[in-house]
Amino acid sequence: MIELKDINKIYQVNKYNKVVALKGINLSIKEGSVVVLKGASGSGKSTILSLIAALGKPTSGEVVVDSVHISKLTDNFASAFRSKNIGIVFQKYNLISSLSVKENIILPLIPSNPDALELEKKLQKVLEMFEIVDKKEILVKNLSGGQQQRVAIARAYIDNPKIIIADEPTANLDEKLSLRFIEILRGLKQENKTIIVATHDPLFFGLDFVDEEIEIKDGHLV
Amino acid sequence: MILSPEVLTLLILDFLFVLFTSIVFVISLQIWKSWDLNSTLASQYTLEKRSFLASTIIKFIFVIKIPLFLFFIFTLDKISNVLTGAMCGAGVLDATDVGNYLIMLKVINIYLFAFWLVLNNSDLQNPTQPYTKLKFALFSFIYILLIFEIYLEVDMFFSFEIEKLVSCCGSLYSSSSDSLISALFHVDNSLLVSLFYVNYLFLVIFYFFKNNYFFALSNTLFVINSVFSLIMFFGTYIYELPSHHCPFCFLQTDYYFVGYFLYGALFMGTFNGLVVIFKNELKYYKISMLFNSLYLVVVSLYVGVYYIRNGVLLSPM
Amino acid sequence: MKKMINFYLLEYAIGSLVRQKSKNIFITIILSLLTFLLTAVFFITSSIRYELNQTVDALPEIIVAQTKGGKHYDIDVSKADSILSITGINSAIPRVWGYYYFKNAGVNFSLVGVGEFEDDYKEILENGLLIGRGVRDVLKKSYFKEYFNFILSDGSLLKLDIKGEFDADTELESNDMILMSKDNLRKIFDIDETKATDIVVSVANPDEVQTVASKIQLLFPNTRIITKNDLKISYQNIFDYKGGVFLALFIISLFTFFIIIYDKASGLTSEQTREIGILKAVGFTIEDILKEKFYEGIIISLFAYIIGVILAFTFVYIFNAPLLQNIFTGYSELKTSFTLPFILDIQTLVIVFFLSVPIYISATIIPSWRVATMDAEEVMR
Ligand SMILES: Nc1ncnc2c1ncn2[C@@H]1O[C@H](COP(=O)(O)OP(=O)(O)O)[C@@H](O)[C@H]1O
Ligand SMILES: [Mg+2]
Repeated sequence: MIELKDINKIYQVNKYNKVVALKGINLSIKEGSVVVLKGASGSGKSTILSLIAALGKPTSGEVVVDSVHISKLTDNFASAFRSKNIGIVFQKYNLISSLSVKENIILPLIPSNPDALELEKKLQKVLEMFEIVDKKEILVKNLSGGQQQRVAIARAYIDNPKIIIADEPTANLDEKLSLRFIEILRGLKQENKTIIVATHDPLFFGLDFVDEEIEIKDGHLV
Repeated sequence: MILSPEVLTLLILDFLFVLFTSIVFVISLQIWKSWDLNSTLASQYTLEKRSFLASTIIKFIFVIKIPLFLFFIFTLDKISNVLTGAMCGAGVLDATDVGNYLIMLKVINIYLFAFWLVLNNSDLQNPTQPYTKLKFALFSFIYILLIFEIYLEVDMFFSFEIEKLVSCCGSLYSSSSDSLISALFHVDNSLLVSLFYVNYLFLVIFYFFKNNYFFALSNTLFVINSVFSLIMFFGTYIYELPSHHCPFCFLQTDYYFVGYFLYGALFMGTFNGLVVIFKNELKYYKISMLFNSLYLVVVSLYVGVYYIRNGVLLSPM
Repeated sequence: MKKMINFYLLEYAIGSLVRQKSKNIFITIILSLLTFLLTAVFFITSSIRYELNQTVDALPEIIVAQTKGGKHYDIDVSKADSILSITGINSAIPRVWGYYYFKNAGVNFSLVGVGEFEDDYKEILENGLLIGRGVRDVLKKSYFKEYFNFILSDGSLLKLDIKGEFDADTELESNDMILMSKDNLRKIFDIDETKATDIVVSVANPDEVQTVASKIQLLFPNTRIITKNDLKISYQNIFDYKGGVFLALFIISLFTFFIIIYDKASGLTSEQTREIGILKAVGFTIEDILKEKFYEGIIISLFAYIIGVILAFTFVYIFNAPLLQNIFTGYSELKTSFTLPFILDIQTLVIVFFLSVPIYISATIIPSWRVATMDAEEVMR
């Protein structure tokens, strides 16, 4: 269960300029549901995602995930929370381009100092799942956009998080690849993951497996 | 004054320590003044970040301080070649007024640093960071001790006079001198040795009862009893000389550096024994007992082997 | 029991170093040079100190020299007998020796006289010479191969035959030495039969040297008594001092180095900033990132340390330290021509370690901390 209570978020750009990104947001997302956050660019979608992932803190209000007040966590506990609960697929994928596919995917596992066998097992599983087995040792910068995106999902998925967040996942994909991504999401829904997608891509509107569509405009819910 | 490469190295690192711990000291004061984990002010976030800088620096210094301590002893041994009359580090320490206090302070500081790190660890494992103010208050105290230690060290190196004749450890640790340790010579050996073994028995008892405060207390006493009985009794079996009471000579090659092992085991044992005050976990009890027992076995073996080989003890008990 | 080293993190750290090749190569070169210089200097000093100690060990326990108003004069041979009467003394032997200036080559030779009772040197008793290797080379250049002419104080020449050369255990002291009979030496330095340069005393029990020395001093208040230990200490001081001067220079370089590292480690490209953001987003804590940075620091500084030490080894013991060794030996041209004995000096390696690795790591602490505590919020944009 994810809850946002009376959230306001103001970015202090510099001493004199503030941007009010979110105003009085109240929201709750049930476990295992798929939610699409839609709205124009600049409406505050990414900001909401960053609050849920404990990457940022609200200016006021509370974010509660599974009855943990994540908006109050210190930096370290926020990291630990992400490590345990959240997988993120970023808008620009945020892969490290000079590392190989394998090296990128295993990043979330590294802090726990994993055993080599166990790591290989997990890795093999996601490589197969997202159909990039043959790309394992290839540098990410030599991959196509669609392949890069699948690496990004594999990385988000590898540590088996409860919640998967995707920010504008299809912004850089053509329609065929976008539909393929949607099919991947459908598969994840079957595994009872909570999925939150921020997008303004009409392909996501009215999908059968989506539980809720939330529209936001200029920082508040419509 | 002695300005050998070894001494300069120690001084350079001392300078580095002063520089970095002073940063931590300033952070400690700030945290002591305005730490409030519930606050959402930017200043609190800054403090949270700075507390990491502080703990990183302290960790760094601790990690260097341990080998540096051994290096310090080595350096003293080396200086003992230059000072007429001194045969090992003990004579060198005694060549200045502050030497003996310096070495005690060094040992205390190593314990305190290690203690701080354990405290820090338990603090960070709890989302509410209950010990943050405490640990930085503690650090302010450690800081003062550390600065004092460095002051003494610099003072010591600058006050050596090479021409001056110093006493060697033989005369230092004997009943005729009037140092603190010579008071020990009026205590019966059998009493010291019994105290040592009885103390160990208490360790075992509190180990089984898992009473952390008494276990820690017994460990504190164990440090004192071990060092005293080592100087007065067990040490003489390492040297195989009834009159040689020196806590430094067995750090040298002639005795296969056994001193480093003994002091190392004693430190590991008693330090982990103190940790249980904060972390009442079986792991620390076990490590503590393991090393303390190791220490006890090794010193006892020296006596046992001597007895088997020679059929008599060095001196009547 | 959890593994101590996180190999995946280590692998990441290595990768991260490789990704910033030019910067890290630059740092490695500077740090290697620094450790190289320091190690080389210490290697040379400890080798020379070893040589000197060997020489000193061969020296007599006590030397008694006559002084008048603090100035050195020849001593009465008869004083040797008075000294012998002190208990605990094995022998007291008058020596004649001195430095002879050879103008042609501009160098000093040490001339040492051998007595009638020293069987080893029978061959040179008449009009012969035994010379050190360094002396041989110098004389060859002036075409003296079979004999040498000494100029006496009245201007006449004394021709002595070169009977051979000697190998000594330590090269430093004997390189410039010429052995001859005491009589010939007396002629060269114009010392009469009742005088000697100094008296050497050997003591039965080494522990009594100090007591014996003070007894002699009491007996002859206007002599100067030098014990072996005095010499040892003064040698040690000279070298510690010279090593110290170098260390002082090293401190300055170290400080510069510290600033460079600090600066280099602080300068982050936007790509690196993004990387840290990614790491935090996938669950790295501040400590994890600090640890990664620490791995980087340890790898690069240990690597540079090892390179520096190996370079110094090669430079000193294989190439015999061109240029640098002159600074430490150069009393006279002659004495520099010896090979450095190989001494594996652990203490030096420890000192250099303490002066390189921790200093490097300390310079990266603050920059690493800055990186590790950066806000991760930006990665969402
Ligand atoms: N780190 C930031 N600093 C300043 N302004 C920001 C920051 N992040 C987002 N904003 C601003 O907040 C508003 C909401 O942005 P965002 O949440 O990224 O919208 P969306 O994802 O819907 O495009 C925008 O006006 C954006 O410029
Ligand atoms: Mg966005």
